Amino acid sequence: MTLLRQAYLLLRKDLLLEWRRRDSLLTMFFFGTLLLFVFHFAFDMPPDKVVELAPALLWLAFLFTGTLGLAQLFQAERDNHCLDALLLSPLDRGALFLAKTAFNLILMLLVESVVIPLFWILFNLGSWNLLPQLFLVTLLGTLGFCVLGTITAAITLRARARELLLPLVLFPLMIPVILATIRCMEMVLRTGSFGDAIAWLRLLIGFDVIFLTIGVLIFDWVIES
Amino acid sequence: MGAWGYVSLAYGIVCGAILMYWFLLKRRYNAAEAELKRLRSSEAAANHDKS
Amino acid sequence: MGRSTKTVKRRKGILGGLALVAVVAGLCWSLLVAPPDAYQGEVQRIMYLHLPSILTAYLSYFLVFIGSGMYLWKRDNKDDLLAHAAAELGVLFTALTIIEGSIWGKPTWGVWWTWDARLTLTAILLLIYAGYLMLRSSIDDEQRAASAAAILGILGFLDIPLIHMSVYWWRTLHQPPSILRPDKAPWENVHPAMLTALAISFVGFLLLYFYLLSLRYRVGEMRQEIKALRLERGV
Repeated sequence: MTLLRQAYLLLRKDLLLEWRRRDSLLTMFFFGTLLLFVFHFAFDMPPDKVVELAPALLWLAFLFTGTLGLAQLFQAERDNHCLDALLLSPLDRGALFLAKTAFNLILMLLVESVVIPLFWILFNLGSWNLLPQLFLVTLLGTLGFCVLGTITAAITLRARARELLLPLVLFPLMIPVILATIRCMEMVLRTGSFGDAIAWLRLLIGFDVIFLTIGVLIFDWVIES
Repeated sequence: MGAWGYVSLAYGIVCGAILMYWFLLKRRYNAAEAELKRLRSSEAAANHDKS
Repeated sequence: MGRSTKTVKRRKGILGGLALVAVVAGLCWSLLVAPPDAYQGEVQRIMYLHLPSILTAYLSYFLVFIGSGMYLWKRDNKDDLLAHAAAELGVLFTALTIIEGSIWGKPTWGVWWTWDARLTLTAILLLIYAGYLMLRSSIDDEQRAASAAAILGILGFLDIPLIHMSVYWWRTLHQPPSILRPDKAPWENVHPAMLTALAISFVGFLLLYFYLLSLRYRVGEMRQEIKALRLERGV
């Protein structure tokens, strides 16, 4: 069975499980929306400033929401000792990595596809025609987050104070993604196209490709029985 | 604070930090060495008693 | 008991002695022999600390990377010991780098901290490797802790160029016109005594680094042996 097929089967299992209970998805969605509300109260923004701050706030909200999702990532396996079963099977660990990353990515994209329009409306950001470009940036940024997040979630699996340690370890590594995503969004919102920010976009793509590859290659060592 | 003030501050902190680290490291080192010696000698004594 | 512990200890002592000599020589050259900089004045002397500190920090991270990679590949505890020791020293020297940079910055730029590329990058590195140490100490199982930390050691190191690029772009594209322009070290018309001071300082720091690394490595080694012996006894 090829890597991708294995990954697909694992992904399907996770999605089915999630669909039945939907608790991760709903929690993430509500948390993301809640953060937007809190940000609105925290930052007293005059309308002209909103566009400047919008990308940063949006991305921060997703970062924290995503961290919430990551904490749950291996929870099902832990609770039912499925992890041991998975490890005993002749499964390519890289497939597990791809499946988990894709699962988290899908969850986050679902949340983002609701939260971004909501954000648009709540903060009165105006023209909707920029959404495709913004979605592209969000996709790439979220992918970067999910890739690193899956690896860090796996290595902090057995740690005490895991909920604190995960963001502590993840966020510094994420800085290129944070910078690139926010700068791209800023450029798009300001000028309507990527312009000079295309370099940031390339960095983002490079980041995703590099760590996706590394993840597949080293996940063997990440999950230990 | 004059220029030499900043220089002394920097050099002072660096020397102080490194000295302190070295001191603490030495302490860990000696403690580990002592513990290791103790364990090894009691092992030797136990073997000696057996034979 | 393998190569006599006495020989090893003596070698460490010699290394330590050499380090001390080099460090003292470095101090003399940096503070007394080298002339003050034409533009920065006496404050420039901090660079004789700052540049070697950065070097040893990066060397540390490289060793963490190598140790981590080798450990994952060969599962030899020695590599893990090296990575752990190097990480600890890396955090120390990175913290010192930041402090030195900050102290240099106050008279030069007027502020204790500025989000310029160099300082920001160094701060991020500190966070990553402090995270490494915290990860290690928060996992109880030795093997798992070593594996987890090794993964982080590799990820962190590979991320460094990307972080470097993104932080530098961020700073150069968004540099507001202000007095906060980081000064680049002017390499033309450098007084030979300054270069000598820098060279001696580099040597001093490196020797000191390897001396401390050898001590720290041995501590880790001993701890491992202690644990093994205790386990044998059921203590």
